[in-house]
Amino acid sequence: MATQDIIQRSGTSQATPPAQARVGGVKQIAKLFDATKCNGCKACQVACSEWNDLREEVGSFQGTYQNPASLSPECWTLMKYNEIEDQGKLRWQFTHSACMHCADPACLKACSTSGAIIQHANGTVDFDSDKCIGCGYCASACPFDIPKISAVDNKAYKCTMCSDRLAVGLEPSCVKSCTTGALRFGTREDMLFSAEKRVNELKERGFPKAGLYNPEGVGGTGMLMVLHDVTQPETYEMPKDPQIPLSVTLWQDWVKPLGTVGLLATAAVACLHKITVGRNIVEEDQPGYQPPEEEVKQEEEAKK
Amino acid sequence: MSKHNKQEMVVRHKLFDRICHWFIVAVGLVTFLTGFSFFYPSFQWLGAIAGTPQLAKFIHPIAGLMMCLPLMLMLVRYYHHNKWEKHDLAWMLAIKDVMFENEEKIPPIGHYNPGQKVLFRAFVLTSITLTVTGFIMWQPYFAPYFSATVVGWAIVLHAISALIMLMFVMVHFWMATWVEGSITGMLYGKVSKAWCRKHHPLMLDEHSDVEKH
Repeated sequence: MATQDIIQRSGTSQATPPAQARVGGVKQIAKLFDATKCNGCKACQVACSEWNDLREEVGSFQGTYQNPASLSPECWTLMKYNEIEDQGKLRWQFTHSACMHCADPACLKACSTSGAIIQHANGTVDFDSDKCIGCGYCASACPFDIPKISAVDNKAYKCTMCSDRLAVGLEPSCVKSCTTGALRFGTREDMLFSAEKRVNELKERGFPKAGLYNPEGVGGTGMLMVLHDVTQPETYEMPKDPQIPLSVTLWQDWVKPLGTVGLLATAAVACLHKITVGRNIVEEDQPGYQPPEEEVKQEEEAKK
Repeated sequence: MSKHNKQEMVVRHKLFDRICHWFIVAVGLVTFLTGFSFFYPSFQWLGAIAGTPQLAKFIHPIAGLMMCLPLMLMLVRYYHHNKWEKHDLAWMLAIKDVMFENEEKIPPIGHYNPGQKVLFRAFVLTSITLTVTGFIMWQPYFAPYFSATVVGWAIVLHAISALIMLMFVMVHFWMATWVEGSITGMLYGKVSKAWCRKHHPLMLDEHSDVEKH
């Protein structure tokens, strides 16, 4: 993907932001996942591993169709089979689980390395594996638990929104392969319009709590979700009110500036003190020196 | 005439402690420089002492342990000199005179002054929190055993502890270079009796076990 369209860059001072010329000029994109249309066929999951050349090791059966159990460095898109018991009946609620591509990404804010996490002008959040040092700050900061650190190469991995496909005008591979039309891709504006239409349709068809999952706490997401009951996103294993964690805000916005001031102030006081007060030298004992007590003793003896 | 014709020297730091101290300085330098490269991404070059950013990440926790464990050992060995004593309060209240070297107004003090005792406690606390939080956030070996929330708070605490430790290290360095004779004391172990009388007068009375050389 082109490096000319980076609008946010991890570990970069606000005084020297990356190129902002394309902000607003390039249309924001979004992936729309309509959970009410998904039948859990896993085509998206397979297409993701095909396109990105990922092969998670074959695991063991855990009593669920969900496999592997969670996202991993070798699994960037996972079909989640949430089992819901409703009026004595079991029902699946499928979640197309992948990076949400937040407008205000916690991973990018927490990252320890300049430019290892970037946001493109179209809104996608991407990792630069070559720069990644594997500190894991992104993995603990993400409110959606998306980035995973590889035990093989100690680097963080997650869905790229197929940024390589997007760069040449293609849609993400998961969207391309969706069998039911549950996944759609387009400009954010178009996706929001379609989602609103779909939500209204669902409300008319007897799902009064249907709604769009586009959490404000992270500035909105590049993956939008239509849920049959948006008041209970937990039943889709999505957090109710995802935010950049307090620990990350405290650390980046408070500890860093205050700590820096503290260090510089300590150094400044030390330098000033040394210059103003001067050296603290001991007058060493001269040859023939005797402690005062002994001198007194000797004088007394002499008098006797 | 006196039989003394050269400075009388007193052992202040034993060989083992001196080796410990300078080992901690060496690995501590690597630890802090690499740590800075993650804390200040724009100054990633500070970690270049480790080679590459990836190596800095790999080396930092190992160097950190190599700094903290001997530090804890040293703190255990120096504990008996660092207990609070009655006369410490008077010294603390006269801190202004200490800093401006109004020598005649400084209350006498023992082997360590209360400022050094505060430093001792700061190193005890920060070396423990740095080790514990360091293990919790250590990717890819230990962090996966903790929840993201716990790791997130460990990262903040680690940064705060490191900042506090560094501020105390700076004060330690400042005092050591100001009070001349301290660094040779830590390098070669001995300080002169005149130095003791000036900076730690009660050290000579209190510690009859001080070896004479």
